[in-house]
Amino acid sequence: MWFGGLLAGAALAFAILQPIKVLPRIRVAPGYAMTDQTGATFTSETSRGAVTLYSFAPLGCRSRCDDVVATLTAVQERVAAEVDLGDVDFRIVTIALADDPTAAALADAADAAGADGDGWIWIGGPLDRVRTVVGAGFRQYFDVTDGGAVEFDPGYTLVDGNGVVRGEYRYRTLADDAEKIVSQIVALGVELRHSTGAAGLAYEAAHLFSCYG
Amino acid sequence: MRHLLRTAIPMLLAVVAGGLMLVFVLREVAPHSWNGTAFAAPDPAPAFTGLSFDSGEPADLTRYEGKVVVVFFGYTSCPDVCPLTLSRVARAIEGLGDRGDEVQVLMVSVDPARDTLDVLGEYLRNFDERFVGVGGDMASVANMAASYGVFFEAQPPDDDGFYEVDHTSTLLGIDRQGNLKVIWNPDVEADPLRSDIEELLS
Repeated sequence: MWFGGLLAGAALAFAILQPIKVLPRIRVAPGYAMTDQTGATFTSETSRGAVTLYSFAPLGCRSRCDDVVATLTAVQERVAAEVDLGDVDFRIVTIALADDPTAAALADAADAAGADGDGWIWIGGPLDRVRTVVGAGFRQYFDVTDGGAVEFDPGYTLVDGNGVVRGEYRYRTLADDAEKIVSQIVALGVELRHSTGAAGLAYEAAHLFSCYG
Repeated sequence: MRHLLRTAIPMLLAVVAGGLMLVFVLREVAPHSWNGTAFAAPDPAPAFTGLSFDSGEPADLTRYEGKVVVVFFGYTSCPDVCPLTLSRVARAIEGLGDRGDEVQVLMVSVDPARDTLDVLGEYLRNFDERFVGVGGDMASVANMAASYGVFFEAQPPDDDGFYEVDHTSTLLGIDRQGNLKVIWNPDVEADPLRSDIEELLS
């Protein structure tokens, strides 16, 4: 009886005080095979082992895409300067919301965004596959109208090296997009650096006791 | 001296008993140390839409409700990763003894062109009589694989027409309630895998 109360109290204190912060393991990220801006095959396995921030954008789009590009540029610069992910690499992957774009079209979009093809890669594939991966897999809304225009809701998805979705961010919510994303990558970095031994157990426990939100 | 002994011995016994109790309690309530990536609040495992078991019946996960299900994506012509992984899974299941009957291992073929249901069944029974194959047309397998975070792609054939299929080779653990609970890397050893499956069974 007394022990149950103690355990419940400890769990409550853990949930309220959050001495260890972890990002939730939301769901498994979709598997895919697409083509990158150099014409090479890029698959979900290519990113295994790296923390990857996914974004989704049509080719040649302006207005909202300018904001998305600015956010991703800020994230890339700040992660390089401020975040310690241990031995784990960080990269950005933008999936083109288009039907089977050529490598040249992807390269043009990447150049316009300032994506170097190493830390930030643009990829694309047949529209059916993109629909499955982006719509059903990443659960990001987009649609192609009869006239060929792309309607989409810009968002970002953070995936860890095990292929698990750890964060989903809507475009322009209350907090600054880059600030919010970087702060969560910082938290993921701390978790990754403490993922083994006794500390790893504590972080595993944090996944059980934390109230995600 | 006698007084000291009368006080010290019970105290020592109390400390030892307390320590043993603490160890017992920690063993009982400490979270399981997973050897894969576990979800605290798992989603229902995606359905096997449009696929068939190697018996020819429509593949339906609800058939195994109440069992732990381990899913692997592979193919029968796979030269190395698939047989090695399936061997480790078979050893893990064997290590469970009678409780192995409460676990269902399914391999979904990522090579529909060569892996007929008969070929799949015969291949898997070499590892364990209880293993079951799942097959279907390319589009159904591709959709299902994507929802499990799995990619696959056939490589160009060699001069003899033989080709390999690149694929994600993670193992996926579905709990008794039908939720996708844990993902293991393909190099997980048999004992750690058995330990995690025991946790899913508990």
